[in-house]
Amino acid sequence: MKLDAATSAGDIPEALIEPALTVGVVTPGSLDDQVLAFPEMKPPKQWYLGLAVTLTALLIGVGCIGYVFVTGIGAWGNTSPVFWAFDIINFVFWVGIGHAGTLISAILFLFRKRWRNAIARFAEAMTIFAVICAVIFPLIHVGRPWLAYWLFPYPNQRALWTNFRSPLLWDVFAVNTYFSVSLMFWYLGLIPDIASMRDRTTSKIRKVLYTVLAMGWRGAASHWQHYEKAYLLLAGLATGLVLSVHSVVSFDFATSVVPGWHMTIFPPYFVAGAIFAGFAMVVMVLVVVRETMQLKNLITMRHLDVMNKVILAMSCIMGYSYMMEGFTAWYSMNEYLHHGFMNIISGTYGWAGWVTISCNILIPQILWFKKARASYFWMILVAIGVTIGMWFERFVIIVISLHQDYLPSAWRIYKPTMIDFGVLLGTFGIFFTLVLLFARVLPVIATTEVKAILPGAQPSHHGDDHHA
Amino acid sequence: MKTRLPEHGPLETPRFWRTLEERIETPEAQRAAHDEFLPGTIPAGPDYDDVHGLPPQSGVSRRDFLGLVSAAAALAATVACDRKGQGTVVPYTKRPVEVIPGVANYYASATHEGRRVYPVLVKTREGRPIHLTGNDEHPGVKGKTSPRVMADVLRLYDPDRLRAPKAQGHVASWADAEAQFHGALRGAKAAGKPVLLISGAVVSPSRKALLADLKTALPTLEHLAYEPAAGDAAEVAALASFGQAVDLQPRLDKAKVILSLGADFLNGEDPEAQAAWGAKRRLKNAQEAINRLWVLEGPLTLTGTNADQRVPVSPSRLGAVAFALAKELAAKGVALPTGTDLSGMSAGAPADIPAAVWSSLVKDLRAAGRNAVVLCGAQMPAEAHQAAHLLNAMLGSEAVALRAAEPLATVKDLEAAAQKMASGAYAAVLFWDVNPAYTYPKAAAWKEAVTKVPFRAWIGQVEDETSAQCQLLLPENHWLESWGDYATPGAAVLQQPAIGALYDTRQGEDILLGVLKAMGATVPDGYHAYLQARWKKELPFGTSFEQALHDGLVKGETKTSAPVFKGASVAAAAKKAVAAKADGLELVLFPGFATHDGRHANNSWLQETPDPITKMTWDNPVAVSVQDAKALGLEEGDWVTLALDGATLKLPAVIQPGQAPGVLALALGYGRTTGGVAKGMGVNAFPLVGLDPASAHARGGAKLAKAGGRKELSRTQSHHRMEGRDLVRSLTMDEFAHNPQGHHHMPELVTLYEDQKFPDHKWGMVIDLAACTGCSACMVACQSENNVATVGPEQVARGREMHWIRIDRYYEGELENPKVVHQPMLCQHCDNAPCENVCPVNATNHSPEGLNQMAYNRCVGTRYCANNCPYKVRRFNFLEYTAYKTEPETLAYNPEVTVRPRGVMEKCSFCVQRINDVKIRAKGDGRAILDGEITTACMAGCPSDAIVFGDLKDPKSKVSQLVAASRAYRVLEELGVKPAITYLADLKNPAMPMASTEGGHHEA
Repeated sequence: MKLDAATSAGDIPEALIEPALTVGVVTPGSLDDQVLAFPEMKPPKQWYLGLAVTLTALLIGVGCIGYVFVTGIGAWGNTSPVFWAFDIINFVFWVGIGHAGTLISAILFLFRKRWRNAIARFAEAMTIFAVICAVIFPLIHVGRPWLAYWLFPYPNQRALWTNFRSPLLWDVFAVNTYFSVSLMFWYLGLIPDIASMRDRTTSKIRKVLYTVLAMGWRGAASHWQHYEKAYLLLAGLATGLVLSVHSVVSFDFATSVVPGWHMTIFPPYFVAGAIFAGFAMVVMVLVVVRETMQLKNLITMRHLDVMNKVILAMSCIMGYSYMMEGFTAWYSMNEYLHHGFMNIISGTYGWAGWVTISCNILIPQILWFKKARASYFWMILVAIGVTIGMWFERFVIIVISLHQDYLPSAWRIYKPTMIDFGVLLGTFGIFFTLVLLFARVLPVIATTEVKAILPGAQPSHHGDDHHA
Repeated sequence: MKTRLPEHGPLETPRFWRTLEERIETPEAQRAAHDEFLPGTIPAGPDYDDVHGLPPQSGVSRRDFLGLVSAAAALAATVACDRKGQGTVVPYTKRPVEVIPGVANYYASATHEGRRVYPVLVKTREGRPIHLTGNDEHPGVKGKTSPRVMADVLRLYDPDRLRAPKAQGHVASWADAEAQFHGALRGAKAAGKPVLLISGAVVSPSRKALLADLKTALPTLEHLAYEPAAGDAAEVAALASFGQAVDLQPRLDKAKVILSLGADFLNGEDPEAQAAWGAKRRLKNAQEAINRLWVLEGPLTLTGTNADQRVPVSPSRLGAVAFALAKELAAKGVALPTGTDLSGMSAGAPADIPAAVWSSLVKDLRAAGRNAVVLCGAQMPAEAHQAAHLLNAMLGSEAVALRAAEPLATVKDLEAAAQKMASGAYAAVLFWDVNPAYTYPKAAAWKEAVTKVPFRAWIGQVEDETSAQCQLLLPENHWLESWGDYATPGAAVLQQPAIGALYDTRQGEDILLGVLKAMGATVPDGYHAYLQARWKKELPFGTSFEQALHDGLVKGETKTSAPVFKGASVAAAAKKAVAAKADGLELVLFPGFATHDGRHANNSWLQETPDPITKMTWDNPVAVSVQDAKALGLEEGDWVTLALDGATLKLPAVIQPGQAPGVLALALGYGRTTGGVAKGMGVNAFPLVGLDPASAHARGGAKLAKAGGRKELSRTQSHHRMEGRDLVRSLTMDEFAHNPQGHHHMPELVTLYEDQKFPDHKWGMVIDLAACTGCSACMVACQSENNVATVGPEQVARGREMHWIRIDRYYEGELENPKVVHQPMLCQHCDNAPCENVCPVNATNHSPEGLNQMAYNRCVGTRYCANNCPYKVRRFNFLEYTAYKTEPETLAYNPEVTVRPRGVMEKCSFCVQRINDVKIRAKGDGRAILDGEITTACMAGCPSDAIVFGDLKDPKSKVSQLVAASRAYRVLEELGVKPAITYLADLKNPAMPMASTEGGHHEA
């Protein structure tokens, strides 16, 4: 396929012409063969190896959670005054990871960023898995987990009601909404692909399974019409959630009186941080996926380049936020806030503060260079750095702020226990186990959406005269 | 509804109708109305049951259905009710006449610790003693008591108590045990061989009489009254200065100037001194008279932290300094007692004390004259005590009462007894409430000597190091199960049992009465009768024994001649004091705040009450001065070896600001080898006690070395500076007079929320930091009242202690001699409580009376409230701290306060159960609640009356008036949380401008 030089040169400047979103020759047929074949194939040895590792981590986590159930929160390092520690750090961390998926699938969809089509499916799946990891924590971190359902406002004969002034209750709603909308959005997108797989598969079990999951999709024009409308609506709904969920999570902190928590900058700062961490995780996973699953032609270096740019932009926003924290501490003349900020850069946990700053602000600056954005080494380094950095950012916010607040008599050093690390490891186990299973069972790329961006799939004004 | 109403008139229509359909009279509605209370739920067909005229039954009727549902629910509820740990509730078949279930009874009783007598009021519920306070009828203690006495109610329910006699290691009956016991004593009497009885201090006149009777019946009896922590030096000095043993009681109400030579009279042990101190410090304005406390001491004591002027002086130098003071005063014209010779002393200020401080002290003492008093710490060397006696005699001090006392045995007497035992002279030895195998410095030699005595018997409550060596163990009643009496200044005090003996135990006196009987003496039947017979003879006319028992005392001063100071004793003491010089480090061994001499070591409430200075629980680290720690390169918690006289201990060190350089301090009473709670907590420091009674507890020549490694300290406070925050305000008298609010300007706080409304009451509290000495009595009182769990050293080290009230202690200024402030910190019951709005399940909320209340049942344990509490007074049950407890431990619980399980948040409730109790009683009487009628446990327990609780809605209440005082401020007021607790700024009355006058709150 060739552009008519005379026409295009006159209409669109060279720089604005969107380059092709796939590499090489990709036809709808070859795409189906490439993507939908995975669930049919016997997984390679490496897959089993990976699953063994992640399952081990998962089981360690389950064991640790069971231990906490039996003995109590005291099995963790949480203490007075650090009443929240790994539990809430992990919760905020995982909710944050989820944000990239929704951003890619919903916001970029609404902005008609067509490059997102190839990676949206995987990113969305990661959202679901990350939120699953996150919701574990509100359930297990309470002192009496068997009563955690009391956080839901359900009618009961004791006439007890929840406290709608509590940000924790807002969390319950925000996270639940987020999870349900994300799940619906993801599933809706899967339907046409599942239908394709239903039609392709020869295995009887799969046939039944996919038939049920495809919900009778036949690819009729009316189906497509409803599908597109529903997809657009859910994208609109999810867009609001990208901003709201982490804002609400940040209210847990921002509406409190704890110095270092009580700041108006928190909602945007948390949302930016979440997108930042989420993109880093997506980059990490996609590099592995495109290499091991031979998807280089669909998940191109251009995707990675664009995502690295987003990471860089978010890193700058984070840098600004950190500086504003310092500025607020200084400008407010609030001695407690000032002390809290000094703790981040020079206290007992000052190292954690510097880990955060280095990983989130300093290292990602390498992405200003085009070469770094094209280099696996640098992008993986940055992505791992950001993941660590963002975990530590929550450590800084939660543990450093809590361990020294108002009355020095109550100050105390917090030390995590092995159980704390076990639970953290367990969530990584859950996340990657789900990722591995997903990669083998469902189409990792939304073939219908990629078909829509294949050259010639969309009507365009010069496309018209070309095909005329 | 489009159906029109029928046309016909009201006569045909029912006047009252239930539904519109009925009013309209559709056939269906009429049928439904007819059938409403009939059994069938099935729509009635045309065919009626002919017999009853009722619709035929088919299916389940509504009535049956409801019946089944309720039966099922009742059954389910019955099954569900069978919960773990819930026992059978059986009502009294014959109710004791004075017991009304749910209503507390109070009995007056008394106990003692060493020579100090504590008249108490015992609160019992359904026959169980659960809480102790001082007897408010007593003219000295005025309703106050000590933290250790308050905690002693737990000892009654100690599961380790010996429950039946034991002979040769096997449980025996009392008859068998007594036969063995009496046989051995009769044998000794017949053979004319001496019998040794070692007991604690004898402060009871009846016990003294009983021992005299015993001596008559068994002439070979030798008796030693042994108090290992009382301070042998004080005993030696009293003998030297007065020729007899004395009991010394400060009368601080009469003191304008107090000089303490290492005396720790404000540590909660002496409620009388503390009450007088509080009264002198709770000033309304700067014109009121305040006293001045000078403290010269080596270790930092609680009294030292309350000093107006404190100088660190090592104990060995105290005697010389005090004698120099006497010389200086004599030179200034204060008359010396006759026969006093101070020519051996060189005149002028000693090098230990800055010249300006010295001249100011001399001036102060001289000006105060009879209103000055010099008090010396029990552990200080004998010369210092003698110098203090001399100074008091010179000044003619009215602020100290001296009474003749029963002498106590010193280590020297114990050493002699050990030698005599080792020689095989004794036929029998009886240990009564003493534990020399643990408290005697040379324990190995002691134990070896004891084995040489053919018959060894022991009377006590919990098997200990000493009982391990005895053939016969006779279990003793707790004092709450016993009779007794005491002679105190101002009143004769009676002790009565508040509960029958829980186990097959007897009172020690009853065991001795048994001995008397066995020796052929005619004695009353039991100690109760013995006591009653003695008392009936001595009761003043018109007082019945029952009345005395009810009041717990009979007021009246017993006339005793005051011991006279012997001037001739001074010369030798002064010479010794001047010559005293410590080589190496000086070690001060003081009774542990919690454990005393080890007798309280099995009490978890006390073990977990932090030492008021070091804030250590469950352990006795050696306190090292800042200078020495620097020289040795020590850090907090470092393991060290402490060597003295061949004894070496390995223990952790803490760095103690304010401690004199070259001085070490170590608490006695730890390192027990028996007792479920006590075992293995800390190290036993008794092996370091000296065998010279004049300096048994303050010894030179100690060596300290780093042992490598560090212990995680089970400390409740790990940060000791206020970081320049306005938390504890402390004013000098000058500041109090001119600018009590300092530079604190509170901007008007604006809120978007409507203010809380309090229609009837608004409970509030005022805490006077000037009166608070930091003694921690409130903590124990609260623990007992509110069933506060103990968590053990590992959990405390992690910061999970459960105290609802704590004492924050901060150091200010230079570390070598800092200013120290104490601040009781408890739930502030904020009107805008930050904890309340963040609880997702409304488990914590505000009462219409201003209480921030916790619904434990509703709490799921998100811990958000605790994060958001600026005062960090909320306590979380991180683990299960209570459910594993069984009887008898659970008997100590206050039945009015829920015992909290794992996973639940808890905190101070302002003793809501006490508030409600008073409210109910006032309502029953049809009257308003009186001001001061409601006392929280901490308030009732505070010996210096620093805490006042009451209704802020009542403008005439004491608490309302104090809130408006010029010293009043609220902690963290700038947060706008509107705490219900107001603090009154601490007061210091320095004689001269203080070295660090800037104070914490305006420290940069």
